[in-house]
Amino acid sequence: MIVEILEVLFLGLAGLMMAYLVRHYIFTLAVLRWAQKGRKAEATGNASYQPTVSILIPAYNEERVIGRILQRMTELTYPKDKLQVIVIDDASTDKTEEISEQYSSTFDLIKVLHRNENEGRRGKASALNAGLKLVAGEIVICFDADYYPQRDVVEQLAKEFADPEVGAVQGRVTVLNEPYNVVTRLVALERIGGYRVDQQARNNLGLITQFGGTVGGFRRDLLERLGGWDESMLAEDTDLTFRVYLAGFKVHYVNGAECYEEAVENWRAYWRQRYRWARGHMQCAFRYSAAVLKSHNLVAKEKIDGLLLLNVYFMPVLTLLSWLICIPLFFLLTQPWLFAFWALAPISLYSFVGNFAPFFEVGVGAYLDGRRRAPWLISLLVVTFLYNIPICTKALLDLLISRASGKKSTCWNKTMHSGNGNSYIMKK
Amino acid sequence: MPRDKSKVALAIKALICISLGNRGPTLEWKTSHLVFGFSAAAIASYAFFSCPRINNESAIMLTIFNFLFVSVTFPLNGTLVRKSALLLIGNVIGLSWNYLFSALAHVVAYYFGESANTLYMILSPFANLIWIVSYWSVCLTVLSKSENRKTED
Repeated sequence: MIVEILEVLFLGLAGLMMAYLVRHYIFTLAVLRWAQKGRKAEATGNASYQPTVSILIPAYNEERVIGRILQRMTELTYPKDKLQVIVIDDASTDKTEEISEQYSSTFDLIKVLHRNENEGRRGKASALNAGLKLVAGEIVICFDADYYPQRDVVEQLAKEFADPEVGAVQGRVTVLNEPYNVVTRLVALERIGGYRVDQQARNNLGLITQFGGTVGGFRRDLLERLGGWDESMLAEDTDLTFRVYLAGFKVHYVNGAECYEEAVENWRAYWRQRYRWARGHMQCAFRYSAAVLKSHNLVAKEKIDGLLLLNVYFMPVLTLLSWLICIPLFFLLTQPWLFAFWALAPISLYSFVGNFAPFFEVGVGAYLDGRRRAPWLISLLVVTFLYNIPICTKALLDLLISRASGKKSTCWNKTMHSGNGNSYIMKK
Repeated sequence: MPRDKSKVALAIKALICISLGNRGPTLEWKTSHLVFGFSAAAIASYAFFSCPRINNESAIMLTIFNFLFVSVTFPLNGTLVRKSALLLIGNVIGLSWNYLFSALAHVVAYYFGESANTLYMILSPFANLIWIVSYWSVCLTVLSKSENRKTED
């Protein structure tokens, strides 16, 4: 009886893993097929559409990087009379305030909002909501303080809003400090798979394109109607993505709107960041899975993809569970079909664990980016993939405990930035 | 942090090349390559399962390799000859790997008993995927067009 239960459970989990594998396989082939049409097909939106834009930059103790992005804001090619930059100094204790004020006094388009200790340090969503009150533009774009956008990023993002169905846009994130060490190189590979293939495919196939929390924007009126960012959510970006879709709007991904980020540089920082993402994403899964299924604003393929996207951070935990079930089955059964399933285990290792871009998705993304040597490290992704198993398992356990005990589950663990990415930016 | 200025300069060049667009190839999707690749993979798989000298575990892994390799490599740019050669080399590597690994397992089983065979059964799929992913990654470099290579040179 126990063996039969284990068998059914294992086959169910294997089926779930296959569903994700097929999903990513379709994404990879779709992007390859789309790439055949050439880069001209990439141009979407109306380039002449230039609404007023407000840029929000939340910053807490970002003295090492805030000057870099503010300098970049002054270099953007978007018409300055249509641009507003708001830095939200979230009660920083370092020189963030001083540096921001220097830029604000020199450049009229930059405004600084200071939050004191009572108001601030409540997480990114809280800071963004405070900034939203000062926004004057029709479009609100967010950047993290460690980001470094290309000069025409605002044009690239804003043009998508010419389509009235578009409620939000997302640009591409590329790792700035990629050559720093093996962690940053692996994060860069994850980003390539996640944006160049995964986001692009979801956009092209009319599925759920995700707003990633930065290098993206919203219509201000929609954002206000939705009540801004939800401060109780750790993954406020995923939360907002689903609220936008449930409200009947779309999120567009613009691969040409590139922005560099300073990736985490060690495994401890990687754990903290991914733990926050995993726990926040799981929060969203509990909150929106049923709503996605019931929504009248989503078609069937969006519902399926929405559910797969919402539940993606459960996959490392389920993969671990399937391996644990597989071991007793391996010893208890001698069925010939078992090895075939067992052979799937390593594929699952490279496909469902980690940042959830399977190795072939990462490789094809790197190929399409014209990266020659970057794919050589793909085999090492197994390290990050395995590392994500305890991260997601702990995130799930903590979330379940906090839900059961009724304790507040938002504990914003900020990623600190070293500013090492500064050395990769060419001085003019 | 890169140790010397030339490395930093190279990194900057690479990043700028990437950021300025014009990156990556325009893909020439060739259905005929895919059809040929899948046919070759199917024939090879049949041969692996039919051949008594190749154990089932190896045959399964080589079949997975062949279909995975064809589906995500044959749509890329490059001549059919080059892709076929890479597929053939992959199969040779796979067969050699599996023979070596099973030979090692036999030796270990001889000295440490039959329980070592279980270890082989558990480890071999993982060991196989490591060479499959590594080999496929290297093949991507081979199939990259020469004009794209300058970005990381």
